[in-house]
Amino acid sequence: MLKNHPVLKHILGRAAWYLVTFLVAVTINFFLPRLGKANPVDTIMAKVSAGLDTKSANAVEEQYLKEFGLVQVDAQGKVVRGKSGKALKTSLGSQFVNYLGMSLRGDLGGSILQHPKRVSEIIKTAIPWTLALQLPTIVFGWLIGNVLGALAAYKRGIFDKLFYPGALLMSAIPAFCFGILLVYWFAIKREWFPAVGGYDEGLTPALNAAFLSSAAYYYVLPFLSVFLLVVGGQAIGMRSMCIYELGTDYVKYAKLLGVKENKILYYMFRNAMLPQLTGLAVSLGTMVGGALIAEIVFSYPGLGMAILTAIQSNDYPVITGCCLLVTTTVLIANFTADLLIGLFDPRIRAVQGGKP
Amino acid sequence: MMRIRERSKKLPAVAIIAVALLGSVSACNRASGGDGDGLPRAETLYVAGRQWGEPTTFNPLMSSVQWPVNNINLMYETLLLYNALTGKMEPLLAESFAQLNDDIEVSLNPAARWSDGKPVTGWDVKFSFDLGDKNKSLPVSPVWQYIDAVRLLDESGKEVADTPRDTPDYPRRVAFILKPDRRNPLVVLDWLQDARIIPRHIFEPEIQKHGLDATTSLKFDKDPVISGPYQLKQYSSEKIVTERRPDYWGNNALHAGKLPVPRYVVHPIYKSNDHFSIALRQGRLDMSSTFVPRIWRKAEKGVHAWLEDPPYFVGTGMPMLFINVKHGPLADVAYRRAMAFSINYVDIRELAGSNYSEPLQPGLIMPSGLEAQFYSAADAKQYGVGYDPARAKQTLAEAGYKSLFNEKGDLVETRDKAGQRVQTVYIKSPTGWSDWESIVKIAVRGMREAGIDAREKFIDGNLFWTDLAKGEFDLIMNTPASAPSPSKPWSRFDAVMTTQDFAPEGEKVYKNMGRFNDPKAPGYIARIDQLLATIPTLKEPERSAAYRELNVIFMQQQPTIPLMYRPDQFYEFSTRHWTNYSTATHPYLPPQIPGERCGTGMLWALVPVAQKQ
Repeated sequence: MLKNHPVLKHILGRAAWYLVTFLVAVTINFFLPRLGKANPVDTIMAKVSAGLDTKSANAVEEQYLKEFGLVQVDAQGKVVRGKSGKALKTSLGSQFVNYLGMSLRGDLGGSILQHPKRVSEIIKTAIPWTLALQLPTIVFGWLIGNVLGALAAYKRGIFDKLFYPGALLMSAIPAFCFGILLVYWFAIKREWFPAVGGYDEGLTPALNAAFLSSAAYYYVLPFLSVFLLVVGGQAIGMRSMCIYELGTDYVKYAKLLGVKENKILYYMFRNAMLPQLTGLAVSLGTMVGGALIAEIVFSYPGLGMAILTAIQSNDYPVITGCCLLVTTTVLIANFTADLLIGLFDPRIRAVQGGKP
Repeated sequence: MMRIRERSKKLPAVAIIAVALLGSVSACNRASGGDGDGLPRAETLYVAGRQWGEPTTFNPLMSSVQWPVNNINLMYETLLLYNALTGKMEPLLAESFAQLNDDIEVSLNPAARWSDGKPVTGWDVKFSFDLGDKNKSLPVSPVWQYIDAVRLLDESGKEVADTPRDTPDYPRRVAFILKPDRRNPLVVLDWLQDARIIPRHIFEPEIQKHGLDATTSLKFDKDPVISGPYQLKQYSSEKIVTERRPDYWGNNALHAGKLPVPRYVVHPIYKSNDHFSIALRQGRLDMSSTFVPRIWRKAEKGVHAWLEDPPYFVGTGMPMLFINVKHGPLADVAYRRAMAFSINYVDIRELAGSNYSEPLQPGLIMPSGLEAQFYSAADAKQYGVGYDPARAKQTLAEAGYKSLFNEKGDLVETRDKAGQRVQTVYIKSPTGWSDWESIVKIAVRGMREAGIDAREKFIDGNLFWTDLAKGEFDLIMNTPASAPSPSKPWSRFDAVMTTQDFAPEGEKVYKNMGRFNDPKAPGYIARIDQLLATIPTLKEPERSAAYRELNVIFMQQQPTIPLMYRPDQFYEFSTRHWTNYSTATHPYLPPQIPGERCGTGMLWALVPVAQKQ
């Protein structure tokens, strides 16, 4: 039946594969952080056990383990104990079943380290900052980088000679290094921009002129630290793609045929664009993971730091929740890219649809 | 044609989405009760270094609560305050205290009030402590190892029943009855300056109605009933803001009717240590309790520390190597002492410690400050171990160890008396704690040069604490009992040598993690536990003599290897917006940051720079 609808068949086929990938990713997300020897309660205990005697420390530890569902609890809510009087640990299997049940209900659970905060709360406060930093840098960096790269490839000459080394430098410089240099030059040497934070400490986030202008002012350096690198990277890629396309037979042939330059440029751009489009999809997908480097260098609010802290302290629910978010967005972005490329690239359409 | 038009539509759409998302930042982060104009800089004191990561709960019943609840007395107050400069207990909720033979009695300040106007009564105090007796998981519970009961007395000294009522003659005298078999007034005093007193009329009904577990998961972040001078105003992942309470009881009772000077005390939350230094330099931060490298180069920017010259800070903590004395050669005292001889403590102080401490002296007693009264230079000279590579080798040789070096002079292995290869011992430290990593590297270098087969082992920060408590290490970095408190140096000895909670390797303990002086093993030194039990109740000169004896045993036995001194509570400050901080030249308060115990008193003494001009 689907034979008559090659596009639909293509979409459904891809969707099935993405679903499988999703399930595998969710399983890995769950098990990977829990495979280590340490558990999150150890981290909490390190903080709270100072000065405690063994008995109180054990009581505190057991209370946390119970709170986070890491030990077995009977029907009355009492901790189940083994022969030695020690609390019995909940098996990974039953934790997984519990987790799947909660995930299906849309409940990401509560943070362990930041108890009693919910994971969804953590994501909700961090994600606007992450998107505000990431989305414009990625989208504008991608657009401008690609246009500049294509221009450099096409124009060559003095523009390329100046632009190419600059872009090469930008694409090669490590993000943290560039961020620190920006801070040193523009925040410490000359105090033009603030070095840390997302807005003036005296303000409260709200929709008013004072806050928005402060946020914009604080935005400049973190934005530049990511934006310039994206532009550099994209431009380098686009430039070499275009140079490659310029040397292909179809361009030469078109030139010989006397096809108009604009038309040739259009074909060339379309072909060179395809890998860049996949790249864009991947970066848009991973962007919710946060610009960790920029967040650390500038103490900028965002999700990257939340994930890093969670990983460092084995905060399972936060790791799993954030990874679930990243997994979902990456898969959605890739899926969309897949479909778009199918639409844009006649070769792929041909293979998938079985028709020329 | 279709496709080209589609593409041209995309760009504006992307731009619109971007703008919309930018806008949503502010929309989603809108906090309640904030005023758009912001906090006036001249009336705001920015302090930092006591809150890392996002604030989660302000519930005083939790062990891991956030600034300022965990550091005491901006919001919730303690009965007394320990002044580390004078060694005296200063009044707070309690106006006085008396140490009798079998109990410690405090008298509450009759002016003390909760923020809802109710008086702070003996019933509140008893409730705050009794909760920890019934529930071992509460932070105050360890005090019950040392006390039998908390009793309420009326003015004539008669016991008052534990039934709170609204009455003007509520009990103000509270007696803490010491356990006869574990009489330790020092630790109880520690707790009187540690335990937050909470409003019974808020907590008791809540616990009765919903149970303790449900109560501990409440956040207490919306105008909680407190007794302290600053109320929580708002918080986010970037900062915590507290605001002065004009009706704070202590303004009249303790500060001669004055208000604290800063209207707001704000704790910004940064993600990296460097940011505190930068913010201090730029005057965005007024005080910080964080590590600031090369503090002497910041003076031109108005950033200073307690002392103007090295060591700049007052050390109260003693980072040291805990040794698991049950592991191979570490059971041998000679091997432990050889290790202690082989470490270059000057390098550690200068390279790993930024020269922020005084030269290390042998033993567990600090040679300076209040502890100096118990310190004996003669003992240190006679029994102590310092950096001396030649004596390290000599000690090894005398105990029959042989070290094999290759032609390049690098250690190959160490052999014992019987000619058997001695196992390599590993020094554990959390990865990424760069100062500790440097210390460990310096220690390993010295040990290997002396012929001791030691290596560094940097492990995951989470595993570190478990390994430490379980005793799963050869040597491990740790700073026991580092905060200044009335029980120093007793609590440091206790943390290192007590066998009170002794447990075999694999079970968690939080004192004597090196399993030193096993009470069931031959060679058990009962004298150590005797001294630890008696010192808290001894008077001078017996107390000093006992401390000396204990310190000599420590030096002879070397159960741990102290490495340097480190400040635990300290601050750097910027003079750009505020002046009149307490410093070594003008030491009106101990070096504690406002919001931390005695340091809070500084809030009444600070002078804004703008006003002076």
